[in-house]
Amino acid sequence: MPRGLLTILGSLALLGALVALPLGLVLVGLITFGDDVLFFVLAEVLILSGLLVVTMRDIIRCGLAMIVCFGALAGIYVIAGAPLVAAAQVLVYIGAISVLILFAIMLTQTKDAPAALVFQTQALAAAAAAVVLAIVIALTVGATDWGAAGERIHTATAQLAEVLFNQYVLPFEVVSVLLLAAVVGGVFLAKREEGGPS
Amino acid sequence: MSQSLDAYLVLSGILFAIGTFGFLARRNAISMLMSIELMLNAVNLAIVAFGAFIPKLATAGSVIALMVIAVAAAEATVGLAIVIAIYRNRKTPLVDEYDAMRR
Amino acid sequence: MTLAMLKPLLAATAEGGGTPTSGGMFDLLIPLIVALPLAGFLLTALIGRRLDRQAHWIPVGIVVVTWAISMLVVYAALTGQAPFGEHGYGVTLFDWIPAGSFNVEAGFFVDNLTACLLIVVTTIGMLVHIYSIGYMSHDPGYWRFFAYLNLFMFSMLLLVLANSWLVVFAGWELVGLSSYLLIGFWYRRRSAALASKKAFIVNRVGDVGFALGIMAIWVNTGPEHTLNIRDSIAQLVRQGDTNTIPLVIVALLIFAGAMGKSAQFPLHVWLPDAMEGPTPVSALIHAATMVNAGVYLVARSNPLFAAAPQALVVVAAIGIFTSILAASIAMTQTDIKRVLAYSTLSQLGYMFAALGAGAFTAAIFHLMTHGFFKGLLFLGSGSVIHAVHDEQDMRRMGGLARKIPHTYRTMLLGSLAIAGIPPLAGFFSKDEILGEAFKLGFTWVWIIGIVVAVMTAFYMFRLMGLTFWGDSRVDPHVEPKIHESPPVMTIPLWILAIPTVGLGAALALPLGDGRLLHWLEPVFEPAMVILHRTHEEYQLFGIDGALIGASVAVATIGMVAAWKLFGVNIAGLIRKRPEPETVRRLSARVPFLYRASLNKWWFDELNDLLFIRIGGRIAAAMWWFDREVIDGTVNGVGSATRLAGTRLSRVQTGRVQNYALGIALGLLVMAGSYLLLAGR
Repeated sequence: MPRGLLTILGSLALLGALVALPLGLVLVGLITFGDDVLFFVLAEVLILSGLLVVTMRDIIRCGLAMIVCFGALAGIYVIAGAPLVAAAQVLVYIGAISVLILFAIMLTQTKDAPAALVFQTQALAAAAAAVVLAIVIALTVGATDWGAAGERIHTATAQLAEVLFNQYVLPFEVVSVLLLAAVVGGVFLAKREEGGPS
Repeated sequence: MSQSLDAYLVLSGILFAIGTFGFLARRNAISMLMSIELMLNAVNLAIVAFGAFIPKLATAGSVIALMVIAVAAAEATVGLAIVIAIYRNRKTPLVDEYDAMRR
Repeated sequence: MTLAMLKPLLAATAEGGGTPTSGGMFDLLIPLIVALPLAGFLLTALIGRRLDRQAHWIPVGIVVVTWAISMLVVYAALTGQAPFGEHGYGVTLFDWIPAGSFNVEAGFFVDNLTACLLIVVTTIGMLVHIYSIGYMSHDPGYWRFFAYLNLFMFSMLLLVLANSWLVVFAGWELVGLSSYLLIGFWYRRRSAALASKKAFIVNRVGDVGFALGIMAIWVNTGPEHTLNIRDSIAQLVRQGDTNTIPLVIVALLIFAGAMGKSAQFPLHVWLPDAMEGPTPVSALIHAATMVNAGVYLVARSNPLFAAAPQALVVVAAIGIFTSILAASIAMTQTDIKRVLAYSTLSQLGYMFAALGAGAFTAAIFHLMTHGFFKGLLFLGSGSVIHAVHDEQDMRRMGGLARKIPHTYRTMLLGSLAIAGIPPLAGFFSKDEILGEAFKLGFTWVWIIGIVVAVMTAFYMFRLMGLTFWGDSRVDPHVEPKIHESPPVMTIPLWILAIPTVGLGAALALPLGDGRLLHWLEPVFEPAMVILHRTHEEYQLFGIDGALIGASVAVATIGMVAAWKLFGVNIAGLIRKRPEPETVRRLSARVPFLYRASLNKWWFDELNDLLFIRIGGRIAAAMWWFDREVIDGTVNGVGSATRLAGTRLSRVQTGRVQNYALGIALGLLVMAGSYLLLAGR
């Protein structure tokens, strides 16, 4: 073996170890020391990215922040013990809806978009409304006795599948029809006029 | 914290409020739709949280969440199609230009 | 109504005559008296225009027939025949207003008092109708005049014959209407139009009082309310034993109505202006009939007034005050009809003074005699005006005695009568008023009455002097054309001269025990009882003789004074030349009085100030209030709504986000309030 190759391989291995080790340590530590920290981190990411979605000027960047937001949400689903929902979240939201939105942004871009105002005149009132809404929900949540169990319940996929295709098969089918209708409707609505300008 | 239902619900509420603000304050129609998606996700989080902590609703929570995701997808499709159609008509994605129903 | 009238006729023919319970033919005759002039009015109104110069046949014919029927009824009533007896007879025609507890019957009532009025109204009415054939012969509205005259006859007869207050009121208003139509007969003349309006409006003021009085009567009669005149008065008087205040109020309210119709102060201002109407109108309505309606009303209500002595005092005071006020004005007026108008006011005042003093019979006596001689004087003045081609200013008359002898002689008789020179009619009636007033203790009435008597004689002979005696001051162009009036006008004058001369004696003799006294005794008996009046012997050589002497003396003084200043030439026996210089000198000595008299004591100006100017300002203020505040509020509500709508519609921006914000805010409010309430 030539000496150069060995050096490269060795350096790569060293780099990988340098990066992977602390990361692995952190992850192990996280997993060992509680979902709380993870939950906290993911919650922060969620809220931050959500704020970025609604406040950034450039729409494409908003879209990207939205993707981060969905990702964080998927993580939270995992912590909450609903892995299938998390998988669906990633597949549908990040994989399909976000892409759809980015396509739509691309199709409706105007030249003066960056220069124009980001917010409406009623933004202040909207902000106030949003704050109050959050407070009201927080208060309500705190004041209500949900009858919750102390531990999270992990939903096994096999269990979920059983319930979905036995008890909830009708909503399942209806949703499929809905999706079909949505697709057809969407195609029809966004269709160009016959012989019109593109 | 991750073991308390309230935390999830408060988080869901905050996300919902953020989505409301975006919906009411942004000028671009697509931004509004993105905010709607945020709101839907917030609701979804709440449903999953209920499924996680209330024994009776364990599987139901996940099922409903899946339905919501599917419906949200359908709604996003149609909504964006409408926005594109309007854009073709009005040449602008800004919703304060859409005031033909004005008095 | 026809059915109700047919029934008694059938009953009469079946039973063949009057028994006390059914009136026989009078059940038909009495309503006929009222119905015939109404028919005359309607017929003349409908076909009069076509008949034109012949239009007088129907109304005059009807009035003559009405007179004949009335005389029949009067004779039967005054002689006490069945069904009249002593207290009269009533004919109920139909239930006018059957409204549960408010029940008013319409019908007629004839007693001796009614009979006296009927004599005056129908006789003078008939003579005026005949006179008008000549007086109005050149007028284009000939047929209209007769239609209105018949309407007036109907109204006045309805008033006189009524048995219920509401029917009286109907007649009351109708005579007011007829008066308005007739005063403003020459409607194209502005002064006539204004005068007719003034008459109607001033009358209306009195009518308000009258209407309130009728309502008060209804309220105070009980337990069974009634508007029948005799029954209601009887009920009221019975209640008067405990409490006289409602009686006084009712009496005064009724007198208010009488004040309006009979032109007593302060509602006297319309009568002089009413001279704008044709002279037959002045004679009929404003001398002989309509203005007597007030006197008749009070006389009819004599028990009520007797039970409310305070009201009687008010009546007497206003009456005698009007009397002297009007007499003072008459002394300087230059329009011949105005002098007579103020004279009428003065004599009406006498009548009310008599009523107020409790001398009811005297008042009715004077009503009758005055009706005749004042009617004569007015028709005579009409004849004079006709002779000098529509000149009414006495300063442009004079020396007419030889040229229009019939008019002159009859007017001389009238003047003697009104001055109170015996043995003519006026002497008896005037002396009775003054004498009774004195004997009943109303000395102040007597004193003022004596002064008025002097003034009356004075201004009447002033009128005679200026018009008939002395040198002619007539316009030279008119002078050669002066001629006596046609017989159709002079014959009624002579016919009227008969009662002018003789009625007094006929009704009053023997003194203290006269015919009229007997006729009206049952009518006024209730009042006499209430007033604790006893029958006193007539002392011709005692107090009564002295009073007669006083009346005659003052009348003679006034007459002679007028002769001295304005001249006289009676059949060449009594002669004196007029002294205009002396007149001017005397007038200059009392400038204020002279001016006050000439300007009618400025009452028209006072009314103008009070009601037109000040009232006008108040009305303008009200109108401002109505326009700005009330309309402003109403319009303001409208514009406020519109404004609110405009402002609120700005919420509809057409933008979805704005609406969504609204939804969000609403939702938060609801959630928040629920939280707060639930937390509590």
